[in-house]
Order: sequence, then structure tokens, then C-alpha cells
Amino acid sequence: MATKIDSVADVAGQPAAEEHVVIFQLADEFYALDIQAVQEIVRMQTITSIPGSDFWVEGITNLRGRVVPVIDLRKRCSVNAGEYTAETRIVVVSSAGGMVGLIVDAVTEVMRIPGDQVELPSSIVSVPENTYLRGVAKLDDRLVSLMDLEGVLPASADGEFDFAAAAA
Amino acid sequence: MVTSKGQRLQFELDDDDLKLFCEETDEQIELLDTCLVQLEGEPEPELLQQIFRAAHTLKGSSATIGHKKMANLTHAMETVLDAVRQGKRAPTSDVVDALLAGLDALRILANEVVTRVDSGIETGGLEADLHAVLESPAPEKDSDAATGKGGLTYALSEAVQSAAHESLAQGAACFLVEVQIALECQLPSIRGFQVLQELDALGTPLQTWPDREVIEAGAGELSLAAVLISRQSEEQLQAAVGVVSDVSRVSAKALSAEQLSGPIGAAAGSPEAPAAQGRPQLSVVDNGAEAAKAPKRAAAQSVRIDVERLDGLMNLVGELVIDRTRLQQIREQLAAVLKDANLTELTENFEETTAHLARVTDELQEQIMRSRMLPVRSVLTRLPRLVRDVATKCGKKVDLLTAGEETELDRSVIEEISDPLVHILRNAVDHGIEPPEERRALGKPETGTVTVTAWNQETYIYLSVKDDGKGIDTRRLRQKVVEKGLMSREAAEAASEEQAIQWIFLPGLSTAEKLTDVSGRGVGMDIVRTNIERLNGQITVYSTPGVGSEVVVQLPLTLATTKALMVMARGTVYAIPLVSVTEALGDHEADIHSVNGMKMLRLRSRLLPMMDLASVLGDTRPKNIDAGRFLVAARHGDRHVAFTVDRLLGEQDVVVKSLGDLVGGRRGITGATILGDGTLGLIVDTPSLVNEQALLVTA
Repeated sequence: MATKIDSVADVAGQPAAEEHVVIFQLADEFYALDIQAVQEIVRMQTITSIPGSDFWVEGITNLRGRVVPVIDLRKRCSVNAGEYTAETRIVVVSSAGGMVGLIVDAVTEVMRIPGDQVELPSSIVSVPENTYLRGVAKLDDRLVSLMDLEGVLPASADGEFDFAAAAA
Repeated sequence: MVTSKGQRLQFELDDDDLKLFCEETDEQIELLDTCLVQLEGEPEPELLQQIFRAAHTLKGSSATIGHKKMANLTHAMETVLDAVRQGKRAPTSDVVDALLAGLDALRILANEVVTRVDSGIETGGLEADLHAVLESPAPEKDSDAATGKGGLTYALSEAVQSAAHESLAQGAACFLVEVQIALECQLPSIRGFQVLQELDALGTPLQTWPDREVIEAGAGELSLAAVLISRQSEEQLQAAVGVVSDVSRVSAKALSAEQLSGPIGAAAGSPEAPAAQGRPQLSVVDNGAEAAKAPKRAAAQSVRIDVERLDGLMNLVGELVIDRTRLQQIREQLAAVLKDANLTELTENFEETTAHLARVTDELQEQIMRSRMLPVRSVLTRLPRLVRDVATKCGKKVDLLTAGEETELDRSVIEEISDPLVHILRNAVDHGIEPPEERRALGKPETGTVTVTAWNQETYIYLSVKDDGKGIDTRRLRQKVVEKGLMSREAAEAASEEQAIQWIFLPGLSTAEKLTDVSGRGVGMDIVRTNIERLNGQITVYSTPGVGSEVVVQLPLTLATTKALMVMARGTVYAIPLVSVTEALGDHEADIHSVNGMKMLRLRSRLLPMMDLASVLGDTRPKNIDAGRFLVAARHGDRHVAFTVDRLLGEQDVVVKSLGDLVGGRRGITGATILGDGTLGLIVDTPSLVNEQALLVTA
């Protein structure tokens, strides 16, 4: 067990003793993001879609004068994206590429997860494109996927336009 | 000096100093650049003084950070300038050439301070050239200069004389201490006071020039002198006073009893006249000091501000503007609700407050915008040198006139305008102005004139480059477009003069008879136009054969905001920058035809391909019932298109916000803007959409 915790620590880049996280829901699954990355959590607000962007990019929104791109995390993580409800939230995180809003179905709690409750993802799932999963926490009543922020965000959107395809 | 290219260099300065150093050297080098060109022919004393001061400052600052090569080179330049200033050497073109060559090297050397890498440049040759220039024959002005050099004398009051004699008798020494404070010193008055304190600590100053009270009051004199009774040695005194910042020179000379009796000082030959004024007269440096003060006073009223800090302020004000708009909306809602509750007083108060906030916010925004503005002078100062270089290379004689240097524009625009302007100017000299023989034959003055003018009009700045050369050769242009396969012979011949002139903006076209390293290979004007239109600007060219041509660039005052036509397409609000919009009309009044399966708008004499704005941007949502109800005619260069949109929402000043890395860089959209209701609109990149349309049509 001790070796496993060490390797989780390497991936996460922080002490394995405890994870301080924000837990949120996508459909019926629970996910967690490091609380350090979370700037704030806001209610659903008007989002302006940007034509031609990836299907999981919801658009941009005005966060007190700042233009912040918003990603529908449910689409990004391939879970069932239902209608927005009163519980829907935008989790605003600060990433290497600037501030980003993540649409989640609900934010449930903030908690500390002891390191010995975290399993490496490789021991549970073996999906190679799951670059954003860095571990699964086994809580008493449920499983929480620990999300790697930079993994879930693309380095930058592909803004190139394919002329040949458009003309054809 | 041994140089090893690429080697790491060490300088004695930290990051803050580096910034200061760079700002200062850039400023002085620019100044030299402008002034040295003017030096040739008409050496006005004031100009010389300005040049000398700039060179001196450069020497001082490079020596301070330990950049030996730079200090040595500036020293050599300063020596030449000094000779010119003293009339020992006329500023002929060989002098100016040597100085300009030195200046070019200085640029590279100054850059070493930033890169910390040895550029491998050798200054020995340049220094030798400068020296050689001095040695070469000079006009007959030596004798004047020699007498004019004049030292300084000080008259001691009788009380001081007796006190000095007394101390000499008691075994103490009496010194004449002369202190020169550097011209570039920002706080001469404080330095003077510090020197005085230093002297107090070293002994007893019997008399000072200027008077003690004057120094203590902060007169800011750059030359100070004192008769000091002290038990220190000359060297000790010099070392101690030299510790004070900005002191450029200290001399301490022991005075004998006889010396004390008469006027003291170096130039015993020149009698009491200067001393009678009660202050030292350094004929040379003092001029500098007087002249140096005028700009300094002006400088004291302005402060350098980091652009990032200003950008930060701009962002904050932008937020304030949005809050103001929201408050006004809330006020309206409140007024509607509270009217029934009979609370008119409350709503009136609220209304007053929001109105006031709105006014203050507007003003604040305006002021901050203004504080980002710089006079266009900073761009224009580089031009005389450029014109001189280009004219020399092409064997032409050209005078450059500039006007409107005070015209202000946003820093961001200034940064972008320099390259296009340089290019246009090169073209004017290289292609426009005829060689001297040709001009003489035409009955024109041999020296051509290029005029650069800047002015403001509404929210735009205009820059015009006008020459009195031969104008644009449309006959050559017609040949060229056919040769390059850009147009059929018939079309080329059929085009009007005005149309043909615009072809200088076509890619891959250069009408220069021979390729020169001045105007290059026809990558010119089309790139200039692209760059200017990217800034939401416009470029227009006028030409009259044999009389000359004029290029006029129109640019927005700032890139942070832009005027735009707001439209709605499939539920999204778009802002189409107004510079590219030529007309907006409803579909019922539009003359729409179908040509080869493509919808075209017939607008007067033009046929405009129509494109659905939302679709062309990649909006895949279904069209609604209003789709295509309105048309917006837009142009980029001489290409026109018509966008179909659902609704027109009117004109508005929009604050341009970047989309960031994640969703930015998208074709057709340059950014976003915050609308009155707090939601976002997208700013349309008209040039890229128009060009795309052109590609699709030709494909």
C-alpha cells in the first residue's frame, strides 16, 4: 500500500498524506478537483457560444468584466449531459492557460481525503485517453474520481480552419 | 580590447536599474539619431548642446554599469562633439558619418546589456575613425575657442581672506574645492546640499559659490566651489566629496598664502568679471547646465508608468463601466417596482447617484485612455535618419519635413505604426523622388521633399506621407499586372487611373526598375495594407503623374476600443468593426440575384457575394425565421462582401477583450466585448472572412 501512495503523490505533485478537494457531481458520478485550483463557484449564467468550437466548449461568459471560456465538463468527460437545473454550477478554475469555467451538475462539498483512501487509476480502469484521471478515492459511501486539471483542459483550442474541407 | 562573440557579459546593475538604463539609453540614442542628421550644415549652439548632453549622458550611464566598450566609444564621440561645439571642427558630412557609424555601434552595445551576450562588435576601428576625423583639416576657429575656453576665478571677501590666512598660520591647509555635478543628475539641489554637508564634515568651508544659503535653498547649481580649511590631504578631500552621487568631477587644490590674496582659480589671465557675479562661471559646462534645466523642469511634471499597470487600470475601469451600465438597468427596474409603492424620493436619490457614477466613470475611462497616449513624435524622430540613409543609397537629394508631432495616439498603436510608416517612407524616397539630374531636367528643384504629417480627426489619427516626385507609374503597373499573370491585358488596359493606382497594394508587385536593398522585392505595400487593416485602419493612396504621390493612413486612436455595428445572428450578438462596414440595409430594399448558384447583392455598380454571417463562422444551429432579414455590406481593401444577419442593433463603442488561449485564435473572430446587459458579443474579423470568400470564389 505504501508504494502505491507514493506514486500517487508523484502524479499529484503534492504530499500524499491528504488531498484537500472540492467534490462535484457529473450526472451520477462524483469527481474532485484540488481546492487550490478552484477560484470560485458561481451559479449558471448566460454563456455566449462561439460558433465552430469543439462540442464540449460551451462558449464564453462574463465574470465581472473578464471574458472566461466555459467548458461543459459533462460533455468533456462523456457523461450524460442533461438539462441545466437549479443545482448546476460553473466551477471557475485557474489553469496554466488562464481562467476557465467548468459546468458541473452540482457542487456537493469540500473535504480532505486521507491519502490511504486513494487508488491509482491504472488499477481500476485502463482507458488510455483518460489523461485527466489521477486517482480514485474510496470513501465510505461512494467513489470519487480525482481529476487532473491540466489533463482535462486541452493545451489550446484548435482554431485552424480547413479551407479545402470548407470549399469541397 | 579582446572580444569573444557570444560570451556572457556581466554588468553592474539589477533588474530595476536595467529598465532605467534601457529607457535612458534608448531615449538618448533616439535623440542623437535625430539631431546628428540635423547637425550637418547648420550647427546651432542649442542643437550642439543637446547632442553633447546626450552623448555625455550615455557615457556616464555606460561607465556606471561597467560597460567599458560603450563608455570608450561614447567618449570618442564626445571628444569629436566637443571639438565641434567649440568650433574647432566644422560638422561636415565625414564628421556626421563617423558619428552615425558610432551611434549604430552604440545601439548594438546597449543591447548587450539586455542580452548579456557579447555581440562581438569591435569599437577600436570606430574610435580610430572618430579620432581621424578630429585630426583632419578643420576650419580656422581655433584661436577663438582657445580664449573662449576660459577657466574660472573666485573672489574672496576680506573676512574670508583673513580667516584663511589665520588658519594657514595655525598649520591647517586651505583648499579650493571645485565640484561638478553630472548634467544628467535628477536632483542637483539635493546633491549640492550633500556636497555641502560633506565639506562641513571635512573641515570649515569659509566661503562657497554659490552662497551657502543658495545651496541650502536648493538652487540646483551644477557647479559648486568652496574655500575650505581642512587638515585632510587633497586626495582625501577629493575621495570624500566624490562619494556623493552624481558628482562627476571633484578637484581640491591647496592654496598658498599669496594665492589667497588675489582672485583664485585656474585662469589667472581672465580677470574678475565672472567672479564679480559671485558664482563660478564655467563657460562651457554652464551653458549646458542652463539648457539642461529647461527640459528637466518639464520632466518633473511627468512620471514614467509601466504599461502593464496602465493596462491593469484600463481593465478595472472597463469593469466599472459595465457595473455602471448594470446599475442603470437595476435603477430602471427599481423605478418600475417602487413607483407603485410611492417611494419616488428614494428612486430619485438613486437615480442621481447612478447618474453621477456614470459621469465619473466616463471621465475616468477617458483620462486613463489619455494617459496611455503618446505624441507621435517618438515615431517621427526616427525618420530623418532613415530618409538620409535611403536617399544616400539611391543617390538622391531629399528633404524631410514633419508636422503634427504633437498628435497623440495610444501606445499600442504607436508600436504598430512604426514599421508600415518606415516602409511607406522608403517607397516615397526610393520610387517617388527622381534622381537630381532628372529633377533638374524637369525644372524641379534638385532636392526632393517628403512631408510626413500627423493629425487627429474625430476618433482617428491620420498619417500622411507626401512626396513631390514622379507619382505612381500606372503604365508600368498595367504592364506588371499582366506580366505577373494577375490580370488579363484587356482588364489591365480598361482599368481607370484610380483603379490602377490601387494595384500597388497587390501582393508580389514591385515597379522598381531594378531591385535595390532599399525597397526589396515587392513584398511591400500589400503587407503594409494588411498590417494596417489588422489594426482596423485604412490606407489610401493618391497620385498625380509628375507632381507626386501621397499615402494616407487612417488608424483608430486606440486598439483597446473600436466602433462597431452591432448585429444579431442566430441569437448571438456580433460586433462588426465600423471601418470595414460600408452600408447596412434591409432585404426588402436589396437587389439580390443568383449567379452560378451563388447569391449576389447588387449594390449600385458593384456585385457583392452574400454570406450568412453565422454560417460562415461555423454556427450550425438552425436558422430562425428572421435569418437574412438584413444585409451588411463590408469591405477589406477592394474586396466587398455582404453579410446576412437577423437584426441590426446599432452602432456602439466596444471594448475589445481577448478570448484567451483556450478558445481564441478562431478564424473570423478577433475577440469578445461585454454588452450593456453584461452578456458577451463576438467581434468579427472582417478581413479574414472577406479574404476567405475571395479564395472560395476563385477556387
